[in-house]
Amino acid sequence: MARIDAPAKVAGTMAFTADVRRPGLCYAAVVRSPYPHARIRLIDAASARRLDGVVAVVTGRDLPDRTYGRAVRDIPALAKEEVRYVGERVVAVVAETRAAAERAASRVRIEYDPQPAVLDPESALADDAPRVHAQAWAYPGAVVGPDDPPNLQSRVHLTFGGSVEEGLQKAAAIVDAVYTTPAGQHGYLEPQACLAEIDREGRMHLWIPNKSPYRLREQLAAYFDVDPALIEIHPVAIGGDFGGKGSPMDAPLCLELARLVGRPVLLQLRYNEDLTATESRHAGRIRVRVGADVQGRLTALAVDALFNGGAYAGYKPAKTAELLGVREAGGAYRIPALELTARIAYTHTLPGGHMRSPGSPQVVFAVESALDELAAALGIDPVELRRRNLLTTGEVDAHGIQAVEHRGHKTLEAALAALRPRPVPAGWRYGRGIAIYNRATFPGSTSLRLTREADGRVTVVIPLPETGTGSHTVVQRTVAQALGIPEASVTVVQGSTRELPYDDGVGGSRVTAAIGVAVAQALEAWAAQGHTGTVEVVVRPEGVPRVTSYCVEVAQVAVDPETGQVAVLELLAAVDVAQIVNPLAHQIQLEGGLAMGYGFSVMEDLAVREGQVTAATLGDFKIPSAQDVPPLQVVLVPGGQGLGFGNTKGVGELTNVPTAAAIANAVAQAVGVRIRDLPISAERVYQHLVRVPSAGPKEVAL
Amino acid sequence: MKREIHYELNGNPVTQEVTPETLLLDAVRQWTTAPKEACGVGVCGACTVLVNDQPVSSCLYLAALVDGQTVWTADGLVQRFPRLAQSFVEHEGLQCGICTPGQFTAACALLLENPHPDEATIRHYMAGNLCRCTGYAAIVRSIHGAV
Ligand code: FES
Ligand code: FES
Repeated sequence: MARIDAPAKVAGTMAFTADVRRPGLCYAAVVRSPYPHARIRLIDAASARRLDGVVAVVTGRDLPDRTYGRAVRDIPALAKEEVRYVGERVVAVVAETRAAAERAASRVRIEYDPQPAVLDPESALADDAPRVHAQAWAYPGAVVGPDDPPNLQSRVHLTFGGSVEEGLQKAAAIVDAVYTTPAGQHGYLEPQACLAEIDREGRMHLWIPNKSPYRLREQLAAYFDVDPALIEIHPVAIGGDFGGKGSPMDAPLCLELARLVGRPVLLQLRYNEDLTATESRHAGRIRVRVGADVQGRLTALAVDALFNGGAYAGYKPAKTAELLGVREAGGAYRIPALELTARIAYTHTLPGGHMRSPGSPQVVFAVESALDELAAALGIDPVELRRRNLLTTGEVDAHGIQAVEHRGHKTLEAALAALRPRPVPAGWRYGRGIAIYNRATFPGSTSLRLTREADGRVTVVIPLPETGTGSHTVVQRTVAQALGIPEASVTVVQGSTRELPYDDGVGGSRVTAAIGVAVAQALEAWAAQGHTGTVEVVVRPEGVPRVTSYCVEVAQVAVDPETGQVAVLELLAAVDVAQIVNPLAHQIQLEGGLAMGYGFSVMEDLAVREGQVTAATLGDFKIPSAQDVPPLQVVLVPGGQGLGFGNTKGVGELTNVPTAAAIANAVAQAVGVRIRDLPISAERVYQHLVRVPSAGPKEVAL
Repeated sequence: MKREIHYELNGNPVTQEVTPETLLLDAVRQWTTAPKEACGVGVCGACTVLVNDQPVSSCLYLAALVDGQTVWTADGLVQRFPRLAQSFVEHEGLQCGICTPGQFTAACALLLENPHPDEATIRHYMAGNLCRCTGYAAIVRSIHGAV
């Protein structure tokens, strides 16, 4: 049977937030800071207020002193005295129409006193750097103290096994190199939107594309200091997430506005606001030191990452305010000494947040590139180097964790077996590169309710939004299979946050596995009551075995030695899977990941200059089109052990991760230049080529 | 400076007041949710509609220009192109669905122009309809499936 949501999505009748209408609805627009750092001297809204259709003009002064965030609560709904990045919200206008709100917003006059700004994380952490926040440690949830370097958002330092310095000393070869990745955006096509309404009893209602509604409710309850039961988040479809629809975003502001004007308020961003002013992927600077003995066995790996956290830490959900992907560095390999360091710094640039496998694309690009450099230094084939170090089932990993199994070898061989060389344009050089990623599935907490209706049909109420992965269809199939009834007899309903106790939200590639665990428990409880009536279960992640998925990617490229242009001829991903509930959606998820990995590798850069995003439209921030995306090949390696009733594992954040290293490694093989900075543009390759006289074009005198 | 325009939307006569600067996207969205606003600058195709069976980015098109013309949006086109619609469902040429009405509308326009496109033609024609979710292969398969 087809995906539940497919017909309505093709016809465009599925309701997204911007399609919701409420009686008395008014529209908001936001005036944003043009400065990376400035004091607000004066706000003159008189002429804006006089315009037709304007309901209210609201400034930071009109709002109580409070801040919000996912873990660290450091974000104001509107800037008060100071602006901290270009794009920060300063004034909100509410009007009868969106056009009237935008017209009035353009009439608000704001005077600023520009202040010295820190725009990159290195200078932000210097002792004499201007502070982005006078007292960052004082925010609720802050993970830094008054004695930490100025502008530190978070810090992780982890060591496993023996001494890294000794490991590097006894290595036959080492690589010590720095890799950089730029700021990026999710590139979802549904702009951020939020409709807020406060009913007569003072309860707050939200329609918002937020993928973790139960967490959002807690974050808002903390901000307003109210009982979470007063807040209800209604289900709407989410038009692309990739991590960008996980924070409260504009919900606190919209609720404040709805409260002030006593009417429902819709704020729908213009896409340039999404690119310039919402949470972005953290730009990273990652130093990798890795060594191996003559046989190519790794002796030590040290990763030292510095990320640009931007003006606010509140877009990261981890209690530690870190990017958890850093912990995955080297996770596929046997590493006797491992040291992981990551610092995130506040700067006066747009805030960093979560984007599809946060931290992993950056760190895996660095480590998997360094492994190829190490292979070259040792004179060992890069594939062979990986074979000698991949974990095998039964081994504990560098973190001391024993996974149920390790299917890296199998996945690697499957990738190589499926590989067919692609034809190369005349005069171009061919290269092939490989990269490996291993990611654990954490199903997390969720809840659901099963009811047998009088007519024998089954209704499942779930807390999970549909972000596009087909999760609602997965619920339908899993329940139908478990009960041995036709899929058409199972109705899946996403409840509002009033209807179920809890869910962790969509993220961490957890959804299918979480559903499987919940369905297994629900059926058990249901069987105990004779398969009738209603059962509600809450699952908590205890004693879940460690299950991981390997992803091996091979990129084939052709490089034009005259211009540095890189043509990716094919991206192949071999993926270690268990059972698959919806094979088509599963495949498309993997293909979509590859396309996103491709964009990250060779195209996407927000081009932040002097604190300002200069790739401010989708015409400038180029994401891959149907013509850009190279041929994709997905190879499944079935037979793995998964979790829950359906025996499944996560798949959503695999294929986007190793692509950049696979392409960089292929380019190195093709023309002998090592690109350590993303994206891998023709300009970059060309600049390297002219420095390698044997490989490339001659510099032409003008 | 309001003025009344008359046009046919999905085969039904429509009368609407617009100003000279009203965008077709905003005008049509009074009646249907099918065209979506995404990039707002004519590069993503989420707002694609057919004007006299030609695809246009309605975020860049003035509503006043459709006076006396015919406009089709995805919710109407699923009736006109049932095979293609079914193929999008069967091949799951969608994930989050925000780009999908635009993809489907552009694909209808392609089949009107060229009923038997090959893969290269499809990719070339559809390059103006961005999708961040699927990686496009599924969309290409959906169009192919209806050829
Ligand atoms: S919204 Fe019109 S082309 Fe993107
Ligand atoms: S399906 Fe989400 S953007 Fe295309």
